[in-house]
Amino acid sequence: MLDNLKTERVMAEEDIKISAKGVDVFYADTHAIKDVDVDIQNRAVTAFIGPSGCGKSTFLRCLNRMNDTIDICRITGDIHLDGNDIYAKDVDPVQLRARVGMVFQKPNPFPKSIYDNVAYGPKIHGLAKNKVELDEIVEKSLRRAAIWDEVKDRLEAPGTGLSGGQQQRLCIGRAIATAPEVLLMDEPCSALDPIATAQVEELIDELRQTFTVVIVTHSMQQAARVSQKTAFFHLGNLVEYGDTDKIFTNPVDPRTESYITGRIG
Amino acid sequence: MFGLSLIAVLICGVVFYFSARGKARSLAGENYAALHSRPNYHGFLAFLVSTLVGVAVLVVVWVAWGSFIESRFVTHITDAQPDLSPIEVELVINDARALSEGGIASKTDALRTQIASEMRGQTALHHYGTMVLALIAAVFGGLWCLKNGALGWRARNRSETIVRRLLALMAVIAVATTAGIILSLIFETLNFFNNIGWQVHKFLFGTTWSPLSGVHDGKLDADKVGAIPLFAGTLLITVIAMLVATPIGLFAAIYLSDFASARVRAWAKPMLEILAGIPTVVYGFFAAITLAPFLRNTGESIGLSIASESALAAGIVMGIMIIPFISSLSDDVINAVPQSLRDGSYGLGATKAETIRQVVLPAALPGIVSAVLLGISRAVGETMIVVMAAGQGANLTANPLEAVTTVTVQIVMLITGDTEASTAAGPAFTLGFTLFCVTLLMNVVAQRIVRKYRELYD
Repeated sequence: MLDNLKTERVMAEEDIKISAKGVDVFYADTHAIKDVDVDIQNRAVTAFIGPSGCGKSTFLRCLNRMNDTIDICRITGDIHLDGNDIYAKDVDPVQLRARVGMVFQKPNPFPKSIYDNVAYGPKIHGLAKNKVELDEIVEKSLRRAAIWDEVKDRLEAPGTGLSGGQQQRLCIGRAIATAPEVLLMDEPCSALDPIATAQVEELIDELRQTFTVVIVTHSMQQAARVSQKTAFFHLGNLVEYGDTDKIFTNPVDPRTESYITGRIG
Repeated sequence: MFGLSLIAVLICGVVFYFSARGKARSLAGENYAALHSRPNYHGFLAFLVSTLVGVAVLVVVWVAWGSFIESRFVTHITDAQPDLSPIEVELVINDARALSEGGIASKTDALRTQIASEMRGQTALHHYGTMVLALIAAVFGGLWCLKNGALGWRARNRSETIVRRLLALMAVIAVATTAGIILSLIFETLNFFNNIGWQVHKFLFGTTWSPLSGVHDGKLDADKVGAIPLFAGTLLITVIAMLVATPIGLFAAIYLSDFASARVRAWAKPMLEILAGIPTVVYGFFAAITLAPFLRNTGESIGLSIASESALAAGIVMGIMIIPFISSLSDDVINAVPQSLRDGSYGLGATKAETIRQVVLPAALPGIVSAVLLGISRAVGETMIVVMAAGQGANLTANPLEAVTTVTVQIVMLITGDTEASTAAGPAFTLGFTLFCVTLLMNVVAQRIVRKYRELYD
C-alpha cells in the first residue's frame, strides 16, 4: 500500500503538464477563483466538476489565457506549462493557444466548409507546406475526431449544416488539427444528445493517448467515465483533487461527498 | 370655427367618459366583480362613441353644407351674369368671401358686395349650425352608451373593437397612400411614353437630354429625352460616393466593434450618428462652397482642370453623408456575429486580425453587403448635394472632374422651372418612377440578404 502510494507520487511529479499555484481570478469586484493549486498530469484526462458558477470554466479558461479577451477579468498566481510561466511577459497568448487548444460548450463551427473549418488552424500556423499535406492533416484530424466517415463525401458542405453531435466532433477535429499538446474542453457534451455524448466520450478516451485533456463537466457520471483525475470546485475554491476513483468512492471532504451524492449542487 | 367645434365635441366626449364611468361604479356598488368591464372601459367606450359620432357628423355636415352654399352662389352669379366662365365665377366667389371677411378683393362691384353680404349670414349659419348638429350627435352617442351601461355591458370588448378598427383604418391610409403614389407614378409614366409615341427605347437608351427644348403643342421630341446622360451621371457620382463611404464606414465599424475600448465606443458611435443627422442641404453647400473650390484650386496647382461643379466634389461629400449608414449597419452585423465564433478562432491560436478577416467578416458579409446596397440606394436618391454641387447640364462623360447631372437634379429642374407643369411633369414623373424602381430593387435585394443572414444565426 505504501509502496503503491510512493510510486504514484513519483509518477505524478515526473509527469506534470500544467502546474497551477495560488491562482486567483477576479471579475471586476467578484472573486471568482480563490487560491487554487492544481497539477495536471500529462496524457491523462482531468475532469473539473462542481455546481454551476463554482468557477470551473473560469479556471479552465485561465489555462490558455482565454480570459485575456475579457476586459474586466484579472488573474494572479502562477500557471506553468512544462515548467514555463504562461503569464510571463514574453509569452504570446496566440502561440500559447496553439499549444493549448480548446473545445467549447456550444459547438461553434465557422460558417465555412467542413474542410476549411479543419484547415483553418493549420493554415494560420503554417503547419502544411502544400495542399497535399493540408489534405492529409484534415483527413487525419477528422479521422481522430471519429467523424471522417460521416463527412468524407461532403467536405465542401458548410460545417454549420451538420447535426449538433457532428458539429462538436468537427470542432474537436478542428482543435486537433493545430497539433496542440493540451486540449481544454468546456462542457463539450452539454448541448448534445446521449448518443452523440457517448461518441464524444469515447473520443476523449481515445485522445488521451496523445493529448493532455482537461474537461469541465456538470455530469458526475461523465467525469467518472472519462477521467483519471478529478477536481471538485465549490464557490471558487478547489475543495478536493485526486484520482477519480478515490474522489467518487471515498471523498475526504464532506462537501465533495454531499455533491457526489446529490445533496448540494 | 371648425377647430372650435372639434374641441366642443371632445369636451362633450370627456364629460360622457366621466358620467359613464360614474354610472358603472354606482351600478357595481361594493361588488366590482359583478361588472363585466371595469368602469374605466365604460367611460372609454362612451368617450369613443360620443366623439367619433360627433366628429363624423361634424366633418360630413361641414363639407356638405359648405358645398351646398357654394353651389347656390354659383347659380346666383350665373343667373346674374350668364357670360362668365367657371374660373371667373370662382374669382367672384373668392372676392366676395374676402369682402365678407373684411379682406382685400381684386374688384368690388354690386354683385360682389351683394354676395358678400349674403355670405356673411350664410357662413355664420353654416358654422354654428354644424357645431350644434355635431354636438347633438355627440350627446346622442354618449347617451346611448349611458343608457346601455349595465352590469353585463361589454364595454371593454366594444371599445377594443373600435380601437382595433381605428388602427386598421390608419394602416389602410398609410398603405393606400403608397399605392396611390405608385399608381400616379405609373399613370404619368405611361402618359409620357404615350406623348413620345411609345418610343420607350429612346428614353432608356437615348444620349441627348433636353426634354423641354423640343416641345411642340405639348408634344415632346422623342430624340431629346434620352436619359442615358442622367443615368451615367448618377452612376458616376454613386460610384465615387461608395468608394469613399464603403472603406471608411466598414473599417470604422470594424474598429468600433472589435478594437475600440468601451469608452471610445461610447462617444465615437454617437458622433458617427450625428453625422447621419446633418441635413443634406448642409452637406450640399459644404460641397459647393468649401470642397468644390478647394478641389479646383488644388487641381489648378497641379495642372488639372477641374470644373467648379464636379462629380468628384458631389461624390465625395455624398460619400461622407453615407459613412454613418454603412458604419452603423456594419457595426450591428459585426456585433451580431456570435462571440463563440471569435472564441473558437482565438482558441485555435488565431490572432485578432486573422479572426476578423477569416471568421468575423465572412460571417458578417451578407449584412455588410446589404448595408452597402442600402447606402447605394441612398446615394441614387440623394438630391440636395447634387443639385448644389454636381451641375445641371446633361453631359455624357466618365470623367469625374467634369460637371455631370443626375436623375434627381433633372427632376428638380423640371419641376421648379417655369415651363408649364403639364409638359414638364411627364419626364419628371418618368424619371421618378425609374428611380423608384431602382431603389426598390436594391432595398428588396438588401432585405433578402439580411433575412437569409438572420436565419443562419438565430
